[in-house]
Amino acid sequence: MSDGTQPAIEFSNVSRWYGDTVALADVSFTIGPGVTGLLGHNGAGKSTALRLCGGFSTPSAGSVRVLGMDPRRTPDVYRRLGIVPDHSPPWPFLTAREVVTICARLRGMPDPAAAAERAITEVDLNDVADRKVGGFSHGLRQRVKLAQALAHDPDVLLLDEPLNGLDPAHRRHVVELLRTLGESGRTVIVSSHVLHEVERMAPRVLVLVNGRLVAEGETAEIRQLISDRPRRVRITTDGDGTSLARDLVGAAAVSAIELAADGFTVDTDDVERFSRLLPVAARETSTSLRRVEPVGDDLESVYAYLHDRARGAAR
Amino acid sequence: MSRPIYGLTIRALLGQRRTLALVLLSLAPVFMALVFSLAADADADPHNFYSRLVQRLFIPVITALVALIVGVSAIGDEREDGTILYLAATPLPRLGIVVAKILAAWTVCVALLVPSVVVCGLLALTGDVTFALLFWPALGVALAALAYCAVGGWLSLQVRRPIVVGVIYILLWEGSIATYAASADRLSIAAYGRALVAEQLPQSAAAVVSPATAAIVLIAATVAGALLGARAMTRAELP
Repeated sequence: MSDGTQPAIEFSNVSRWYGDTVALADVSFTIGPGVTGLLGHNGAGKSTALRLCGGFSTPSAGSVRVLGMDPRRTPDVYRRLGIVPDHSPPWPFLTAREVVTICARLRGMPDPAAAAERAITEVDLNDVADRKVGGFSHGLRQRVKLAQALAHDPDVLLLDEPLNGLDPAHRRHVVELLRTLGESGRTVIVSSHVLHEVERMAPRVLVLVNGRLVAEGETAEIRQLISDRPRRVRITTDGDGTSLARDLVGAAAVSAIELAADGFTVDTDDVERFSRLLPVAARETSTSLRRVEPVGDDLESVYAYLHDRARGAAR
Repeated sequence: MSRPIYGLTIRALLGQRRTLALVLLSLAPVFMALVFSLAADADADPHNFYSRLVQRLFIPVITALVALIVGVSAIGDEREDGTILYLAATPLPRLGIVVAKILAAWTVCVALLVPSVVVCGLLALTGDVTFALLFWPALGVALAALAYCAVGGWLSLQVRRPIVVGVIYILLWEGSIATYAASADRLSIAAYGRALVAEQLPQSAAAVVSPATAAIVLIAATVAGALLGARAMTRAELP
């Protein structure tokens, strides 16, 4: 486990670019014991950040330290570091047990067979442990990858989308396992593009958007930040909705309004208050609401909001 | 060297369909020797045939291609499918990983090539076989294969298309430039492989160096390939 005097993982002004493409831009953070979620859309830089942590890539600028060591130059760090890559299934011609045993042996475990047995049990792979990995489903391969990362009982775990392909029961099992590892003092980083998945296990998150760190902190705070963001709502009415729109503007529930023939679209900074006022105003103006739907409320727009907010704060 | 990585690599190499093609390629000279033994003219010189077979085909073409492909596959395939991450994420010295891979590739090459060159000698020379006539070509093939494997392993970590670069080296440099410019032979693995057998076989081209020096140079090339491979592994972008 991390000795407490230094962060388990430290990024100092790290950038990574490939030709003209910037994968990470001047990212700095430290991570200590517990589970930390690395959140971001596809292509946000999560995998690049984890590959830099894992020593599989060199930063174009800045420095990466894992347990105080440069993972690119100090292979000894892998005695205390477990990695679950996103792609890269293990050797297909080996059984699950052989994969985990060989990884435990290569990472210096004195009794690799016993270490493999423990890890296989931890991820609930016993039933298929002696089958070849090549015939496994995506979910089973994920569990083999997790078992090989746990086999040497590492202090730091880097997991790139570890829940991908798992069925709901094993998702719950892995979430519980990672939470337990975090609570026992290990440093666990889990990347995902789904906030609700991360918040079940990680009390802290880092949010990457387009290679930039746009938010970091307690998961609940980030959730609140996302909930409190300005929203755009499209309201379809039966007949003319002008009087309803006027009422909403009068009540200062909206910051902008755009009228259309069958309703209107509003921007609101306080979606909760707007949700309370809308039915009241509709009743008062005798307007029938046919449809109320958020506009641009997908994950991408959430990340775009965090990105814009971070850029605004930087100016 | 890591024994688990050595064993793992041999299993991976033997499990490939490509290996069957390499077996056939390694057996091509045996087929030629068989035809010679069955259908050659009475005045044909078996030593001359065997000498040409070893020095013009077996070492510079068959050994070079088989060992390059196996050497590249030993590391390059794992780099391509991402399994190299599981080896890279270990506390083993990078040199130990690369050496285990090169030796595994070499083991497969020796199993493919050495029996083939010995059988060629037995078929072509029939009743005129001596131990030296079989041993030196086998040693030349084995040491040249070792150097090619090391270069292949290094290329697979250094360049994007290692097979293309390796084949260009074999065909363009060793097969063309080095045959015109004598000094270019000094940078030809095949030339040192041939130098190991030149004194034993008749009508050989002049060897670049003595057999002992050739063996030392081939081993030095292997060491250089392994060191460069280990250096490339610490710098390469892994998947």
